Amino acid sequence: MHEASIAQNVLDIAINTATENSAIKINKVCLKIGQLTAIEENSLKFAFDALKEDTMAANAELLIEHIPIVGKCNNCGKKDTYSEMFFSCSNCGSYKMEILSGEELSIKEIEVD
Amino acid sequence: MEKINIEEKILSKNIKKADALRELFKEKGVFVLNLVSSPGSGKTSILESTLTGLKDKYNIGVIEGDLQTDNDAKRIRKLGIKAHQINTGGACHLEASGIEKSLEQFDLDNMDLLIIENVGNLVCPSSFDLGEDCKVVVISTTEGDDKPAKYPSMIRVSSALIINKTDLLEHVDFNTEECIKYAKGIQPDLKIFQTSCKTGEGIKHWSSWLAEAIESKRKS
Ligand SMILES: Nc1nc2c(ncn2[C@@H]2O[C@H](COP(=O)(O)OP(=O)(O)O)[C@@H](O)[C@H]2O)c(=O)[nH]1
Ligand SMILES: [Mg+2]
Ligand SMILES: [Zn+2]
Ligand SMILES: [Zn+2]
Repeated sequence: MHEASIAQNVLDIAINTATENSAIKINKVCLKIGQLTAIEENSLKFAFDALKEDTMAANAELLIEHIPIVGKCNNCGKKDTYSEMFFSCSNCGSYKMEILSGEELSIKEIEVD
Repeated sequence: MEKINIEEKILSKNIKKADALRELFKEKGVFVLNLVSSPGSGKTSILESTLTGLKDKYNIGVIEGDLQTDNDAKRIRKLGIKAHQINTGGACHLEASGIEKSLEQFDLDNMDLLIIENVGNLVCPSSFDLGEDCKVVVISTTEGDDKPAKYPSMIRVSSALIINKTDLLEHVDFNTEECIKYAKGIQPDLKIFQTSCKTGEGIKHWSSWLAEAIESKRKS
């Protein structure tokens, strides 16, 4: 359950940022999670909901934007979206793929009062 | 209601700590390996087989990560090698802050190789950088040759794959070629080793790769 550790990090960053901006309450926390990261959304939400109790984020909603895997072939140059990690170029079959997106694991923004 | 833009990596705290550790290991000339696998693939056994042959030439330290018990650290200490046990309680992976704390137990000025045996888990440790030079993933022949396809995120961040328990190949349906094909499809640069801790097959090949890595990192 590394989702617990990730949820704690999200909460820490959100609360620090809110405090620095003199907010009193966090309403929303927006994340960007790439499909290449091994994060289970339900576990993450569950952990976040458990950890946020008794903090200024007690009523905060966790919103997750899923970022698709986009790869560029270093052989023929084709850019395409892929659904899984085991991928070769959809055009020429080469495995020499450069990953353009899908590795994101970041906190995008928060909404506060 | 106000929106505040953050755009920060969620694990930035761990990343920063890991980067600082990597800098420290570089300065001290210590090669650091993060060894990962499912529970029971043979990480500790591989260390037992490998380190016996390396300990006369190099100063070695081992950090053992387990949910409970210090059994693995005890096994390493039996070889006359310094080992520190981290018990994570519930956590399924080690984090850089835990490694930083463990380093108090070691003398980095007199160390060539630090091995971190991570908690048995093929998912979580892939997200947590420990400041290592490389991750090495162990898959044993009793686990099924589609392990790389099921746990691609771990294969993707690893530099080498050890296929262990080759002595059991004749008893199990494990297609070594398939396993390697899957793994290389995810990570084309993956180094492949095939070992048995029972017969000693392949241990030499793996040990010499490790020795080379230590030499190239060592302070001249
Ligand atoms: N037959 C066979 N058994 C092995 C081999 N390597 C490890 N084992 C056994 O597998 C079990 C788990 O090994 P261990 O090193 O504790 O795995 P770890 O949890 O990954 O550290 C032990 O009973 C070992 O004796 C091998 O190459 N062949
Ligand atoms: Mg072990
Ligand atoms: Zn986990
Ligand atoms: Zn192509």
